[in-house]
Amino acid sequence: MPASEILAQPLFRRLGLLLLRRGSLLGFVAILAVFAVSAPNFLSPGNIANVFAQSAILGILAFGLTCVVIGGGSNVVSGGLDLSLAANLGLCAAVYSSLNNAGLQGWESIGLTLLCGLAVGALNGITVVVLRLPPLLATLASMNLIAGLELVLTHNSVLPTDSALLDILANGEWLQVPVLAWVLLVVALLLGLLIQHSPYGLRLYAVGEYPEAARAAGLGVGRYVFSSYLIAGLCAATAAFCSSAYFSGSTTGSGELLLSVVAIAFLGGVFSRRLVANIPGTLLATLLLGFLINGFQLLNIASFWVNGVQGVLILLVVAMSSALRKEEGGL
Amino acid sequence: MTVPALHLQGIAKRFGPTQALDGVDLRVERGSIHGLVGENGAGKSTLIKVLAGIYRADSGTLTVDGQSFADLNPHQVEALGVHFIHQERLLPPGFTVGEALFFGHELRRGPFIRRRAQDREAARLLREYFDLEFPPGALVRELDSAQRQVLQITRALLARPKILVFDEPSVSLVKREVDQLLAIIRRLRDQGLTIVYISHYLQEIESLCDQVTVLRNGRAVAVVDPRTTSIAHIARLMVNREVGEMYTKPVVTPGEVVLELKGLGAGLAYRDINLSLRRGQVLGLTGLVGSGAKELLRSLFGLLQPEAGSVHLQGRITRLTSSRDAVRKGIALVPEERCSHGVAPQLSVLENLTLAGLSRFSRWGLLNAAAEARESDQLIAELGIKTAGRDAAVQQLSGGNQQKVALGKWLGRDCKVYLLDEPSVGIDIGAKVEIYRLIGRLAQQGAAVLVLSSDLPELIGITDRIVVMHRGTVAGEFDARQVDSDHLLACATGAREIPDPSLESEREPDYASV
Repeated sequence: MPASEILAQPLFRRLGLLLLRRGSLLGFVAILAVFAVSAPNFLSPGNIANVFAQSAILGILAFGLTCVVIGGGSNVVSGGLDLSLAANLGLCAAVYSSLNNAGLQGWESIGLTLLCGLAVGALNGITVVVLRLPPLLATLASMNLIAGLELVLTHNSVLPTDSALLDILANGEWLQVPVLAWVLLVVALLLGLLIQHSPYGLRLYAVGEYPEAARAAGLGVGRYVFSSYLIAGLCAATAAFCSSAYFSGSTTGSGELLLSVVAIAFLGGVFSRRLVANIPGTLLATLLLGFLINGFQLLNIASFWVNGVQGVLILLVVAMSSALRKEEGGL
Repeated sequence: MTVPALHLQGIAKRFGPTQALDGVDLRVERGSIHGLVGENGAGKSTLIKVLAGIYRADSGTLTVDGQSFADLNPHQVEALGVHFIHQERLLPPGFTVGEALFFGHELRRGPFIRRRAQDREAARLLREYFDLEFPPGALVRELDSAQRQVLQITRALLARPKILVFDEPSVSLVKREVDQLLAIIRRLRDQGLTIVYISHYLQEIESLCDQVTVLRNGRAVAVVDPRTTSIAHIARLMVNREVGEMYTKPVVTPGEVVLELKGLGAGLAYRDINLSLRRGQVLGLTGLVGSGAKELLRSLFGLLQPEAGSVHLQGRITRLTSSRDAVRKGIALVPEERCSHGVAPQLSVLENLTLAGLSRFSRWGLLNAAAEARESDQLIAELGIKTAGRDAAVQQLSGGNQQKVALGKWLGRDCKVYLLDEPSVGIDIGAKVEIYRLIGRLAQQGAAVLVLSSDLPELIGITDRIVVMHRGTVAGEFDARQVDSDHLLACATGAREIPDPSLESEREPDYASV
């Protein structure tokens, strides 16, 4: 692995850290600047609010993944990972659309959809904590299981639906900012308080970073990891409402969100001094990707370039941060 | 007589065939510092794990403050006010000082952590207890090991313990930091804490402890007062005296120097190491945990890059960049963790024996099965490997036979240098003898053998020369025929630093005459 050998040198390591920390923020600003100059209307308040709203689905899913990564440790192979998030969103959206179309009360279908998200989270938690499967495999399996359930429910077709909630989410505005953008910010605020400022969050970090230390401090490691999957499940259900509002019902192909979600959650870690996943960082990464997609659209660049950029971002971020972390572990 | 703060009586613990603890008594008086010493493998860590509730004793009772228990779980132990400072620092590396100190018992306002208050409080406690200032906002990973140790102690003190157990706390500390730590521990005792201090550095024990229990082979052999008992006497009590006639050492005339280390150093692990190893010679290397001996061997395995000095292999400067590189250069490695590094447990005896030299059995990328079978049958017979057959999986073999496989796979390869890390740990006497014979045979065939072992009688029995390391440097070099375990142990524990004067004058003629 030549890359890691190069980074093992102290000078290169320091440069790498600098590049990763400052570079990512600089990169963000540079991208904004390029689009601001080249794309018409890029910096108009309407467009910015639009980007926030369009980022809501991805962002909320990525918050869920961020919690799982914090609680499971940020090792990409053996650490925390939830690949079933996007599929969970698909299932929740399908469940909500079916229940709503079946004529249930608004609060009933909302409650049951949230329960569905939680149940998937609990399933992941059980396979990871109780059965001790590696999260990568456990959630890969549940992803397929959930995608199958969604197919059973929808027969692989679009389930259009309409409700007061979806109407507000899709068309509502407050202070000239779309409601979806507010949802993103409110979820970010709540999870930010929980993860970055509550004892629960600190302990979740301890559990993920050094389980032996957490155990020595008397913390129930399994319970914290389990709870992080529950949060992820709730995030998936919340994102499902946004998605249903955006597309006026459940759609197929939610699994395609997965790559972006993983990219955002790992990219988010770069926006922190300690190079660990965190909620504000994830919010920044979400917006970065949102502006990227938006800018490409304004410049009429084909959208498949976005996928390429995402893939490269994942590779870069994961390779660099794991190389740097390896060096730190060796000290 | 007053009630002791802690009293362990008749603690026994058995792991498979090994009797780790055999009726150990430990009585610790209130408000005293009680030392616990013993060689590696004497049962210190097992005893501590029983006390911590991690292991359950097979028999015996634990009495804390007059309350007796047959066994305890870790939570009960903590509730009784017994806290442990472990050798490894159990603090998340990415946490700030304040976070690491308080996580699990955070200071909070309503549902939120008061980070600033935690940082302030952490700074205050560190200043008050230890007169120390850490850089504000420092992360645990940016602290040195002494600072982490202090943080760990402060964390334990937050719980207002009655008894603090230090398990080898000074292993990764340098001299100045050790002095600081000892001063802190004395201050804690004067504040009324009862302290159990486990270490194999006898100097620390002598200057610190009020009483010392000596463990040997899973038994408490003596309780002494270090103020009236000399270190040398304690060292003698620690040494394993059960030396049988099991050691064999053929007489070989050493040839030219094969491996030479000049001024080798690696960070804090070891420094300024000069060693030479000749053909036909068996060199012993020993040192307690933290002495750097293990790290030195890791460097020769190509796993740890030295930062200073040079390694000369047959007169040429060599850099060992990886263990693969070391093997390619003719160095055979037998690591201590047989199961993870020495053998592939799920492969068969035949596959393991031929793994290191596959190129000899293959032609155009295909293996010559008949040649492999012939060679491995021969090795199985020669080494006396007890196996159901050459196709049995190595994990079905006993530890000793696994070790023979680990050694045997290098035999056919004509290696110049053999590096053995604790070759006889965890195997029975019979297998040990065969391993010793094998080492002797390697030397007879003209190989240079370096054995790292903490079993001192074993080293004396099977090597020609013994190098003792202490805190990263060579503390002494001895002729194996003229030294006894007491001497070696005294040297390894830093009780005496005696470069044997007789050796300097005799070493050169020694090679010529033997």
